[in-house]
Amino acid sequence: MKGKCYIQAMAAISPQPTFEGDIFSAQLAHTDSNLLACIEPDYKPFIPGNSLRRMTRVLKMGLTAALKCIRESGITTPGPIVTGTGKGSLQDTEKFIKEISEYKETALNPTPFIQSTYNSVNGLIALQQKCTAYNNTFVHRGFSFENALLDSMMLLQEGATHTLTGAFEEITKEHFYIKSRIGFWKDQPTDNRELYRHLSPGSIAGEGATFFTLTGTPTPQSYAAIADFRMLYKPTGEKLSAALKAFTTPPDLIITGRNGDSNYEHFYQELDQCFPGIPQLPFKHLCGEYDTAGAFGLWLAAQIVKAQQIPVAWFPGTEQLSAPVHSLLFYNHFYGEQHIMLKLERV
Amino acid sequence: MAERVFITGIGMITAIGDNVAGNLHHLRLQQSGLGYSNYIDTIYKNVLPVAEVKHASDALFALAGVPVKEGYTRTTLLGLAAMREALQDAGITDVQSTPTGFINASTVGGMCDTEKLYFDIINPEKTGSFLQYIDTLDCADCTQRIADTVGFSEHIATISTACSSSANALMFGARMIKLGMLPRMVCGGTEALTRFTLNGFNSLKNVDKQFCRPFDQQRTGLNLGEGAAYLVLESESFARANNSRILAELSGYCNTNEAFHPTSPSPDGDGAYEAMKMALAMSGCSLEEVSYINVHGTATLNNDVSEGKALERLFGDKVPLFSSTKPFTGHTLAAAGAIEAIYSILAIQHGIIFPNLNFSERMEELNISPVTTLMKGYPVNHVISNSFGFGGNNASLVISKYEG
Repeated sequence: MKGKCYIQAMAAISPQPTFEGDIFSAQLAHTDSNLLACIEPDYKPFIPGNSLRRMTRVLKMGLTAALKCIRESGITTPGPIVTGTGKGSLQDTEKFIKEISEYKETALNPTPFIQSTYNSVNGLIALQQKCTAYNNTFVHRGFSFENALLDSMMLLQEGATHTLTGAFEEITKEHFYIKSRIGFWKDQPTDNRELYRHLSPGSIAGEGATFFTLTGTPTPQSYAAIADFRMLYKPTGEKLSAALKAFTTPPDLIITGRNGDSNYEHFYQELDQCFPGIPQLPFKHLCGEYDTAGAFGLWLAAQIVKAQQIPVAWFPGTEQLSAPVHSLLFYNHFYGEQHIMLKLERV
Repeated sequence: MAERVFITGIGMITAIGDNVAGNLHHLRLQQSGLGYSNYIDTIYKNVLPVAEVKHASDALFALAGVPVKEGYTRTTLLGLAAMREALQDAGITDVQSTPTGFINASTVGGMCDTEKLYFDIINPEKTGSFLQYIDTLDCADCTQRIADTVGFSEHIATISTACSSSANALMFGARMIKLGMLPRMVCGGTEALTRFTLNGFNSLKNVDKQFCRPFDQQRTGLNLGEGAAYLVLESESFARANNSRILAELSGYCNTNEAFHPTSPSPDGDGAYEAMKMALAMSGCSLEEVSYINVHGTATLNNDVSEGKALERLFGDKVPLFSSTKPFTGHTLAAAGAIEAIYSILAIQHGIIFPNLNFSERMEELNISPVTTLMKGYPVNHVISNSFGFGGNNASLVISKYEG
């Protein structure tokens, strides 16, 4: 997708302390449970208590990240809301499936059904903001957030002044187990700080809610410009390599979705070969692997481009940037199927 | 100036037919697809009517054109059956011959099959080939299996905005064409009946034990249905260069959010009003030029009041002919927008207006009533097709006769 857009504001709830405070002095949260869970903020400043009680985890995370992003943007007129989620509210889906069985299909509470609907977070944001503009939700694994981003850039081209664009995902214990049955996660307990040293089948699980306010024109507040991006579905290594080379000249920095999974590592090796000698930073040790991890990766990339520095505590053994980052290539894929390459530029 | 978007192929499967011709046949006969379920494992099997596709999943493999194999859910198979027809109808033998995107819609993915296996999937003591269904838990699974079977690789996406999902898929595809991103898109949705969804709507007290009665004073709720439908959209320049047969034009569309309530529309139909008004404005049609409205008309207490009020507000005392085709197909959720877009095209092509079955008494809140008999030889030039969903998602499409 050609045509620039600008990141005016962002908010992220993630397994790292990303929601508040200065990330450049933040420590690296770690676990060897193979499941990186979000550090949940205090929701009360964002959501009234009576609503809060009814809402399940990913709804709270999604809505709160969205509201924080809107606050940060300084834009008071609500605009289009476009999101992506691979799995929606797993907690509600699991609950409703179980209650159907447990209560033998009678006297069911409809709340988990309503909240399991994939667009429920979008509906809540619109309701809270009294926003009647365009509203859409994409639900396509590693193309969920990416299609939301595409839709948002299309809306900006069509004349919208700004969009609220985000992604949300949760991992439950039950779903972690389900995905372990088809090889999503590593067999051995792996400390996220050591993720890239253990090249073996599977990765570690994660979750997060990340929102962006995108604008069609830059402002003094802009974090970075999204100059171009491209999605590739199930490419061969050769096709990926050709696409990467055609996509950009060598950038100043590369952020990758590398995740220690030996099954799909070869795609990241294609990237290495396309741009030898360019410094790279992987992000999955911070957020874990999930359908919409790409949104977190973009958040990190935009932080780095704006601040022109790396949160060094999150990248042990990595030196602070020695040269300015004018252009950044972001590359991620989800279990080898949905690939995305995105170019960020300094504003 | 942005490209016009033409519809050049249609394919569908519903409770009233395995293809477009079958659907038209039963619409003309005024024969509903509602009945009792043969395939859902539920205590409501003989209590709550549904509009089920009249084939077991095994038989659907043949219609879908794939060998019987685990991992293909009913959602995928219904989708493939409709997809095959849409491509054939558009004369597409190889989707790779022209860069073609695929925008699918789904509300619960492969739940129809996974809900039967879920307790085995989470039980460490159970193992077996059912584990191949784990991937079908999400909405992308059906999209990717359909894409991989017929060969889409250019751009794929799945949209889930509840009952307006496939209307939004059509809109997204049309916008990609208008922005010059791809010359051809196939858009629509697929939905299989599930115990999950049936219990969901039933827990909301939204399901009628009788056959649904849209816009009727005595209506008490909807009946669920299943099916799939896809439309091939092409840019004007591509359609002309390709010499495509043009069925109709997707001339206008609008997506708005009502921001009123998570599951209920506003009593005055603010969202429906805005969506229809903006879609019409985009199409360049005047109010008088609208020949027919295929309403969302679920027959829930709230929808029909809200949608009816919106019609009266927009059209005043000149509300065009309107009907809900939900009594034929049930409410097919993610597939509804695409199914009804095809019905709108059939209305234009054949000059017919479908009756709103099961209507007998006008709603006290409204001064309007739907069409109740099959109208033939009626010139239909512009149709509005409405789809409204949970989360306040409202979508209206305007489909227009192609006149060069």
